[in-house]
Amino acid sequence: MQELLIGFTSVTWQNGVMYLVGLTLILLAILKGYEPMLLLPIGFGAILVNLPLASVLSYEGEPGFLQVLFNAGISTELFPLLIFIAVGAMIDFGPLFKNPIMIFFGAAAQLGIFATMIVATLLGFDLKVAAAIGIIGAADGPTAIFVAGKFAKEYLGPISVAAYSYMSLVPLIQPPVVRLLTTKHERRIHMEYHEASVPKWIKIAFPIFVTCVAGFVAPISVPLIGSLMFGNLIRESGVLERLSQTAQNELAYLVTLLLGITIGSSMTADKFLRLETLMIMGMGLVAFIFDTAGGVLFAKLVNIFLPKDKKINPMVGACGISAFPMSARVIQKMASEDEKGNIILMQAIGSNVSGQVGSVIAGGMVLALVPLLAF
Amino acid sequence: MENLIIDLQSQSVTVQAIAVSVGGLIGVFATLAVFFLIIRLSNRLGKKA
Repeated sequence: MQELLIGFTSVTWQNGVMYLVGLTLILLAILKGYEPMLLLPIGFGAILVNLPLASVLSYEGEPGFLQVLFNAGISTELFPLLIFIAVGAMIDFGPLFKNPIMIFFGAAAQLGIFATMIVATLLGFDLKVAAAIGIIGAADGPTAIFVAGKFAKEYLGPISVAAYSYMSLVPLIQPPVVRLLTTKHERRIHMEYHEASVPKWIKIAFPIFVTCVAGFVAPISVPLIGSLMFGNLIRESGVLERLSQTAQNELAYLVTLLLGITIGSSMTADKFLRLETLMIMGMGLVAFIFDTAGGVLFAKLVNIFLPKDKKINPMVGACGISAFPMSARVIQKMASEDEKGNIILMQAIGSNVSGQVGSVIAGGMVLALVPLLAF
Repeated sequence: MENLIIDLQSQSVTVQAIAVSVGGLIGVFATLAVFFLIIRLSNRLGKKA
């Protein structure tokens, strides 16, 4: 009789809390539209893994289906890399080629990664875990999962949830930070945009050059940047249209589906219901705030050296985070609110795609530097 | 360089994090600066062609 009721007798209050966490993520996905493709599977995965006996993880000594997916896709880092191929196939670097200066905002807006890493060490985390928490500031889910998978597997759940949650909250996080750091006059700066076609060979050569340079500077970043640029090369080659479409659609959807539910499977109550989870969620917000501030302040710094008619609207700097294209849209909306007809969208998109490259490079730097100091 | 790394290994975790931050930010800016030069060069070559 006891065996028949084991499902009821083995449930704990911690499991109950995790059902609420899972339901909250599902409701945020459905009702608010916050990153639904990820938060919904993550939420459901969190419920599945906290059901009595957690048979999705293991049953009668055999790994359950979510454990199999975790071992195959997260432990090997395969899922984030496949997502990168899909993302690469979606990126058009055209706006960046027309405004190459925007690439530096993709570097400045990585400030949040490093600032948060320092904060995390002050809160008592060791260097590897601090680096994994800081990488939430990459505003780039696959990079966060990749780095957390290497440095802090036990915090993979909270780090992924924080990364995707704050990415979806960019429209709420960035505007107040941007307004705080800029004057209305600065937000009204107009930027010229020259519509010029970019030769096809440049678009084809760029992903190859970028991969090679990244390979020389930070060899450990090659899986990340290589898969991103492979996807982009498929897109720009012009001879693999069907593969490009497959990467952008079927591959992206399928891996996202598996990635979400697998990340959810790391959210067991014993791993998730800890003070550290709250700290990680808090530091994730700090990371996004510092990212935004880094980009805006760097734009203001650059403006000191630019002639009056060439000034950059500092809001564009905030788009240097990797949350594409949401950040660019948010900044364009802000520009329109401050002055009707002020169009800075293409510059913002240039900065935003730079953020995608910058976040991957920053991830590679963290992966290369941290093991030198922490064993 | 190796001496610097050995010295940092004996420092506190926060000092190590600051070192990684400085090195990381320099690395990101330097790498993207190379990409910037590649794009500028490509644009010039593209205009000439």
